[in-house]
Amino acid sequence: MAQNGSTPNLSQLPPEMLDFAILKSGGALAPRLGRLSLQGRKTILTPAFIGNTSRGVIPHISQDNYRKCGVDGVYIPLEDFIEKYPNKTPPVFQLETPEPLRAFTALPNDSLVVLGPRRNPPILTPNGHTNTEISLLTSVGFKMVSSEYYAAAARKLQPDIVVGLADIPFGKEKVSIKRKDKMSDRTEVWLRDIIAKQNTVEANERKFNIFAPMLPIERDLQSWYLEHLLDDMVDKISGVAIYDAYLLDDLPDELHHLPRLSFHDPASPQDVLRQIGMGMDLFTIPFITTATDAGIALSFTFPPPSEKPQDDVRQALGVDMWHADLAQSVTPLSEDCACYACTKHHRAYIQHLLSAKEMLGWVLIQIHNHAVLNTFFSSIRASIERGTFDADVAAFTAFYEPQLPEKTGQGPRVRGYQFNSNELAREGRKNPKAYKKFDEEKIVQLRAAHGQLVGKKPEVRDVIDDEALVGLVGMGNEDVDVRLEGLEIEDTKT
Amino acid sequence: PSALTFELLGKCSVTKARAATLQLPHGPVPLPIFMPVATQASLKGLTPEQLEEQGCRLCLNNTYHLGLKPGQETLDAIGGAHKFQSWPHNLLTDSGGFQMVSLLKLAKVTEEGVRFLSPHDGSEMLLTPEHSISLQNSIGSDIIMQLDDVIATTSPDLARMKEAMDRSIRWLDRCIAAHKYPERQNLFCIIQGGLDLNLRRECTAEMVARDTPGIAIGGLSGGEAKDEYCKVVDTCTGLLPEGKPRYVMGVGYPEDLVVSVALGADMFDCVWPTRTARFGNAITATGILNLRNSAYASDFSPIEPGCNCTCCRPQSSGGLGITRAYIYHVTAKETAGAHLLTIHNVYYQLDLMRRVREAILADRYPEFLREFFRRLYAGDKERYPGWAVGALKGVGVDLLVD
Ligand SMILES: [Zn+2]
Ligand SMILES: [Zn+2]
Repeated sequence: MAQNGSTPNLSQLPPEMLDFAILKSGGALAPRLGRLSLQGRKTILTPAFIGNTSRGVIPHISQDNYRKCGVDGVYIPLEDFIEKYPNKTPPVFQLETPEPLRAFTALPNDSLVVLGPRRNPPILTPNGHTNTEISLLTSVGFKMVSSEYYAAAARKLQPDIVVGLADIPFGKEKVSIKRKDKMSDRTEVWLRDIIAKQNTVEANERKFNIFAPMLPIERDLQSWYLEHLLDDMVDKISGVAIYDAYLLDDLPDELHHLPRLSFHDPASPQDVLRQIGMGMDLFTIPFITTATDAGIALSFTFPPPSEKPQDDVRQALGVDMWHADLAQSVTPLSEDCACYACTKHHRAYIQHLLSAKEMLGWVLIQIHNHAVLNTFFSSIRASIERGTFDADVAAFTAFYEPQLPEKTGQGPRVRGYQFNSNELAREGRKNPKAYKKFDEEKIVQLRAAHGQLVGKKPEVRDVIDDEALVGLVGMGNEDVDVRLEGLEIEDTKT
Repeated sequence: PSALTFELLGKCSVTKARAATLQLPHGPVPLPIFMPVATQASLKGLTPEQLEEQGCRLCLNNTYHLGLKPGQETLDAIGGAHKFQSWPHNLLTDSGGFQMVSLLKLAKVTEEGVRFLSPHDGSEMLLTPEHSISLQNSIGSDIIMQLDDVIATTSPDLARMKEAMDRSIRWLDRCIAAHKYPERQNLFCIIQGGLDLNLRRECTAEMVARDTPGIAIGGLSGGEAKDEYCKVVDTCTGLLPEGKPRYVMGVGYPEDLVVSVALGADMFDCVWPTRTARFGNAITATGILNLRNSAYASDFSPIEPGCNCTCCRPQSSGGLGITRAYIYHVTAKETAGAHLLTIHNVYYQLDLMRRVREAILADRYPEFLREFFRRLYAGDKERYPGWAVGALKGVGVDLLVD
């Protein structure tokens, strides 16, 4: 492998410009090591992941706990902030301060903030895109938002990185060639819009960095877009957003020096390894929260333990903390984990918290699961550094089950406005049976949109937790559990 | 025997307010104090560390809930509730009786104990004073409560009230006899007697004679008129020895706290501050703000300006700089929103009691009370609650004159 990196001289760059140094690369479709630096932010060594937020927080992790959990950046979707648009100016835009998005969500100064249009993974919207607008989902319903609005939002909110709008018809299983042409054309126009907006940023203002979308379609169908990107936009962009990791092969050589942020939702750590093996740098990992919501404490290490698993049975990737046989276990979630949950608490307590439906159970598992992923990524970097990545991946694949454990516990109650605030839910209330079927289908489609071929891998379906995708722990007043009903009675007292 | 020391540090020269330090097995606790309620060994999503960071050194667990989950066997196996929830500071547990009576429709009190149907399998079960103490011994809480016969203070049945009071005294004797670890857990008696001051006096005398390390005034905060409540507290504290902590159970509104302190009470607990946080309500010195109201959507001030909690403190002072607008943005949509507001509300209650204590130590508690009500009601004396004005007048503070 060739050493390709040089020490960045940050002082030569404008302070807000992103620097990405490739520290080690094995060429195309091979794992690589990088260093993402931006003045004032923690330097991120890649491959790495950033937190996947909902309304400005990683689910279950309040901002003070975020500061303790070792995650150095976050992905924030604009759709979580603009429910008042267009009737009123959304509050975050009214905040007169530098970096309003960071200030509004109370994120620390040294965290990298990446803004995109949609949550990851996005929920399907019934409306198609137009030449100037994309469709997204806020907590009060679907909205059409123009490229111009998105660009203005990026300028106002001053994130470190803005992911360019991509015209991707999420959920459509078959996309016609004509539609694909349109995808490419619109994405190009929209990228030009945001670059134009970036050019209006005054010298004394903070400039955002742009990541250009790579569409999940064949290279020849987005060749015009890519050509124009290379011709006159490449020096304006600081990274690429990849929607289909299997198309990394098609990435033009001229873009190889840029950091790659994956929006190809990995279903498992093995998926993450696969993408890293193809040269992916940066991830949001939605399955962390999915696992947490299901009460699963992740427990894999990379490379796997050297001793062979017992009876040649593949080991689970996580421990289902709902299991009653953990009720007296005074060991931590994982023996070697240094996270807050593992250093302070034991399985017995966490099992109790889940079974008592106390919110803290999910908090502790979420902190732990982020720590497990942190360790996973640092081990991956070490493995690439050592040059043993391929062998380590093979050992990992042989050692662990191919997908996360199935959810057994009751999990958090769905409060997902992401599902039920929309028309589908309204339909559903009239006809719950049909709704349920439709809903399942939609989720499958949603996953399909992210490259998980449900038909081919039925087991993937099992790890889809529709509740957990957007669910919340029961905070309302309609808990079904008899004892918790009782609690409410006690609570109303005083 | 007792596992605490009570050091009286100061007394208000006008009211009956006291400031003290209570040394408990897991460290000192300043009095007066508000104790947040971690019902099922967890405080509404906060980690023990977050609770500790707000200054909490004594919180509650509920015996009834811990008896069900994780259950006595697990508590014994793990070595008590401190180890179970990794809480290095003090714990107080109730007897479990009150929650049975209030939560379980089928609970019935007999001389033996509280009879109820198991919420698990419907089988008939019995909570006796001995069983309650045994559970609390397994929990290992620093302060444990006697099982008492609780009935609504508003009950008009004086005979039943007297029976409950007498039974509570008999049950105290059974609790004392059953208590295995008096050298490391402090058993508090609970004065009953409803709103009848003669019953309360009688009960107080009997309870005091049994010389428990601390004394609770029970059966209140059940919907009785506030001036009746104040009379009971005032009557009981008037008969209590100076050298023991006095705990009024189930009290938690800020004005109830400051008035009860003036009437000579030292310790309080209530689920309200943490419960109300989950519904978007912030407790502040100027009243309750419901941050789910769209009026706060673009309010970029802290939850309470000047508050030193982790949320309200600006980032420049090591806090988070959370605004009302952000709470509006997340509340009821992400659990973390509830956690943030819970942090603030717990801090508010603890800090209120810290300021109360400082005022008592500086012997300016009457001024503190005037300022407290002035801020809470924006100087509008017309809106001051009559019960508070009356109760404070009874201990020498007239809120209506400056
Ligand atoms: Zn851990
Ligand atoms: Zn505060």
